[in-house]
Amino acid sequence: MPFKRIDQARPFATLAVIVGGWLLVPTAAKTFLRAGFFEFTAPIPVAASRVADLKEYWSLRLHSKHELIEAGQETAHALAAREFAVQQNAALRDEITRLEGLLRLPAFPAHRPEHARVALRDFSGWWQRIIIRKGKNFGIPVGAPVVFAGGVVGKVAEVRATTAVVDLVSSSAVRLAGVVEGDARPVSYTGGVNPSFGTPGGLVEALPLDVVVTPSAAKRLVTAGFGGVFPPGLTIGTITRTTGSAEGLFQTGEVKLDERLGSLTEVTVLVPLDKP
Amino acid sequence: MAALLRRTLVLLAAAILLWALVAQLNHALASWRIHVFTGGLFVVFAALTQPHRAGLAAVLLAGLVCDAHAPVPFGLHGLLFAAAHELLFRVRNRVPRNDAVVATAVALVVNLALFLAISFTQIHHAPVPSAAWARLLMDLLASQIVLALVCPWWSALQARALALARVPRFDIA
Repeated sequence: MPFKRIDQARPFATLAVIVGGWLLVPTAAKTFLRAGFFEFTAPIPVAASRVADLKEYWSLRLHSKHELIEAGQETAHALAAREFAVQQNAALRDEITRLEGLLRLPAFPAHRPEHARVALRDFSGWWQRIIIRKGKNFGIPVGAPVVFAGGVVGKVAEVRATTAVVDLVSSSAVRLAGVVEGDARPVSYTGGVNPSFGTPGGLVEALPLDVVVTPSAAKRLVTAGFGGVFPPGLTIGTITRTTGSAEGLFQTGEVKLDERLGSLTEVTVLVPLDKP
Repeated sequence: MAALLRRTLVLLAAAILLWALVAQLNHALASWRIHVFTGGLFVVFAALTQPHRAGLAAVLLAGLVCDAHAPVPFGLHGLLFAAAHELLFRVRNRVPRNDAVVATAVALVVNLALFLAISFTQIHHAPVPSAAWARLLMDLLASQIVLALVCPWWSALQARALALARVPRFDIA
């Protein structure tokens, strides 16, 4: 009978040995193993993403010439508007440089935009992240801000050889300094409220009491640009509801993020440029 | 030894295929904020039908593949999968393990346990835990539905992969 008991306990003894052994493995070895497993499986989502791109290309090839001409005309209109905006942007940039020189202000950090295709989206209740198809091979650093047409996407959390992992702004891992549009006082934003079939969201804390938000008069929350990696003025989301905090000095608010966060196909990484 | 290695590699290859398929499913479902977790599928076939060493090694490695793509302490999935494997291996002689319905029911229970275990390790990150649980409940529901639909096919695919690699399915060491 004792032999049978020992035999029955064998699986648990094995498990205890594995857990004990795993706890003794040095952190460096675990980091190396994690990178190894990631790189080993990374070609799978990248290949799937490229196949999807190819499928999209061939489906676009099926469009008629008439549709292409119409699309070309729309693109020409958009380009004309963009060129005008670029000229205005250049004039404003010169003005900022002149004022920085006059007032001896530190310059805003400069960035190089690096456009990247999204290989994999992972939008679970535990975490929200994407894998993009650019990594160390394009000089992307950890912590770099990631943006898209709708504003902030998130921050680069891990960089691998040819891919990078981005924590989305809806994830509780992302904390940002923001300001309510038209107000200079900083507030703290954190992601983490993502109901199924609903709009992704986050929370804003340390919101001044005089900032009045109602569902009909929602306020835009933008990046503050204070000490962080994000340039100022990028849209984080819209504050739709506020409640007083427990100590009564500030308010907390709900932030609705862009619906498109869950269906991103292309993003831009702002790679910080080294100061001369 | 060579047979053991071959069995482990076949099971691991199948697990990587499952990971890739589920990742693509989640990629497609991301726009609806739905996420499918199929941890139970990584464990059940190996624990119910495979020899101890090969099954455990394959399950542990499959867990590490999941860990590499998740912002959790490296080894969390691996150790949870290994623990589930050991528990199932302990009781497998008491269940009709060749019955697809029973295997599916066991996979559902294991998946529920693994999902809750990972949720309890992650819930403290959420700024509003009550809202996070509502979301997790939806994810769990979707996961269980997908798992129930896929489990018989998945078991058959692994059995077929072992047969193709000329590894006998019930060669219990």
